[in-house]
Amino acid sequence: MSAQVSPAYRELHWGTYQAILLAKKAGTYFLLVLASMLVLFPLLFALSLALQGETIAPTLIPDVGKVDFSVFGQAFSKEKHLWRWILNSFVVSVAVTLGQLLTSVLAAYALSHLRFPAKPVFFFVFLGTLMIPWESTIIPNYLAITSWGWKDTYQGLIVPFLASGFGIFLLRQYFLTIPYDLYEASVIDGCGRTRYLWSILLPLSRPALGTLAVYAFLSTWNQYYWPLLVTDSTEWRTTQVGIAVFRSSEIAVYNLQMAATLIVLLPTLILLILGQRQLVRGLTEGALKG
Amino acid sequence: MSALDRPQNPATRFSAAVKTHGDASTEATLDRLGRPAQAGSRRLHRRWQDFGWALLYMSPALALFLTFTYVPFVRSILLSFYVTTSTGEPSRFNGGKYYARILNLDGSGQGEYLQSILTTVEFSLMVVPLSMITALALAVLATAKVKAIGIFRTIFTSSVAISVASAGVIWSLMYAPNVKVTKWLVEVLHLQPDNLLNNASTALAAVAFMTVWTSLGFNFIILLAGLQAIPQELYESGRLDGTTGWTAFRYVSLPLLTPTLMFLCIISTIQCFQAFTQFNVLIGNEGPDKATNVMVYALFTAFWKDNRYGFASALAVVLFVILLALTILQYRVLDRRVHYQ
Repeated sequence: MSAQVSPAYRELHWGTYQAILLAKKAGTYFLLVLASMLVLFPLLFALSLALQGETIAPTLIPDVGKVDFSVFGQAFSKEKHLWRWILNSFVVSVAVTLGQLLTSVLAAYALSHLRFPAKPVFFFVFLGTLMIPWESTIIPNYLAITSWGWKDTYQGLIVPFLASGFGIFLLRQYFLTIPYDLYEASVIDGCGRTRYLWSILLPLSRPALGTLAVYAFLSTWNQYYWPLLVTDSTEWRTTQVGIAVFRSSEIAVYNLQMAATLIVLLPTLILLILGQRQLVRGLTEGALKG
Repeated sequence: MSALDRPQNPATRFSAAVKTHGDASTEATLDRLGRPAQAGSRRLHRRWQDFGWALLYMSPALALFLTFTYVPFVRSILLSFYVTTSTGEPSRFNGGKYYARILNLDGSGQGEYLQSILTTVEFSLMVVPLSMITALALAVLATAKVKAIGIFRTIFTSSVAISVASAGVIWSLMYAPNVKVTKWLVEVLHLQPDNLLNNASTALAAVAFMTVWTSLGFNFIILLAGLQAIPQELYESGRLDGTTGWTAFRYVSLPLLTPTLMFLCIISTIQCFQAFTQFNVLIGNEGPDKATNVMVYALFTAFWKDNRYGFASALAVVLFVILLALTILQYRVLDRRVHYQ
């Protein structure tokens, strides 16, 4: 911890000091831009390939004169099911998000506000779901969904994901930060349990609800393994499985592959920009709670 | 509202001992007036009533977890001891033979599943350190106090929003031999001019490199949060001692970030053990010379392609044990982190 590097610029002339500061700032921006280019490289690469038209030897930077935006339309006309895949993903993601919000809110409310016997038991039942990875349940789940005739249906894609251990603990944690006195006072004033939840607790918990919503939507939209298993026909694919299938059918048509991929990426990128704060909070919370 | 609630209140089952069933307000008033005996029974009554409501509130989540997590989990363990039919019904008890097969204890000398576990470990060792170092560099960069830093933070976070499947499609083209960037890279690094993904010596590293990119956003978010949680006073007192730049990072940030780094290290390893999508999209089979046959892919092959449900379940249980060990380790680290702060 010894003073190895002393801030030399303190002894310097004012103008030099300014110049060094300016240089430091420019250096920082240079590094930031460079890092951004590297991080965004795959996306820029995809965009560049999409705009180059049909070619078997694409270059890194498209020829400005030949840039072809119609490829995004072509992707839809070439793959008739693209609309359907996007619709499927939207239906499934919205339903799972709403379902997780509902089941998590109710369970988290019980765990945070009600006092009842055997509460630790229930707590561990919910905690235990975080310990069981989906790989160790996927085979029986697949067999069950098949035997119920739920393959190629919305319920097969939605129902297994309607409850989330992460969601329950995220909301419970937030509900605990809202003073319990508020609950007691409301009950004294004749407010029922459900009404307290609906008209007092939930409006106060909007940030946590937003976090769970963004997180649930994103992870459902990006699902791959499960939709791959429980959808057989092309029209029931979700976007993620769809573009992977599309890729293998249009293996040589680079611009269409990239255009379809970018179309599929767009909703989550928009969601990232709009809900970044919620998402970041969710991920850091999730990391803390496992 | 409470009048509306009452008819379907399952708690009334428990309230036989209490004759009057006043609404919440009178109940609370009586409590406050403090007639000891009655107040006590009221409180008990309320507890049972709460129990009924709690069960009702928790029932959707409990039913779902029972159906889609706990029952399948137990079935998975049971299935792993049976030879199964093509529809997944257990047909003949098999004891622990599948486990012996996986761990190469059956004397067959075929260590392909042990190899698969090793491949997974190798994959994690490629992904985790590189991803953590890159993400840490980005996080340090993103603490710079300059204008428009928010935009850069969003960019560094972006891979969180990009699904592994779409990333796989993009990267499969980045690795395609006729794309000029790849050609250049292959020449610079003196790699075989063949497709990187078709070559046993480069396939796993190629998938790992793509995984580093997809995991960057998440690791960045956690590390930035970790850096921001370090009290500014520490840097200020450090500055008085002459610690700036690299020394400040080395002697202030890094020690305080160690718990976060360790924790992230475990989480990333868990994610690597669960990796499947990138292998399915980029490679689509066991890889050249089974070089990319990671555990979840071996499980997928046994289950999906060969319909060997019993054997696949045994693989799933082995994977569960490994992940459980990592999870317990993670909670230990987390405990320490909480004490640390």
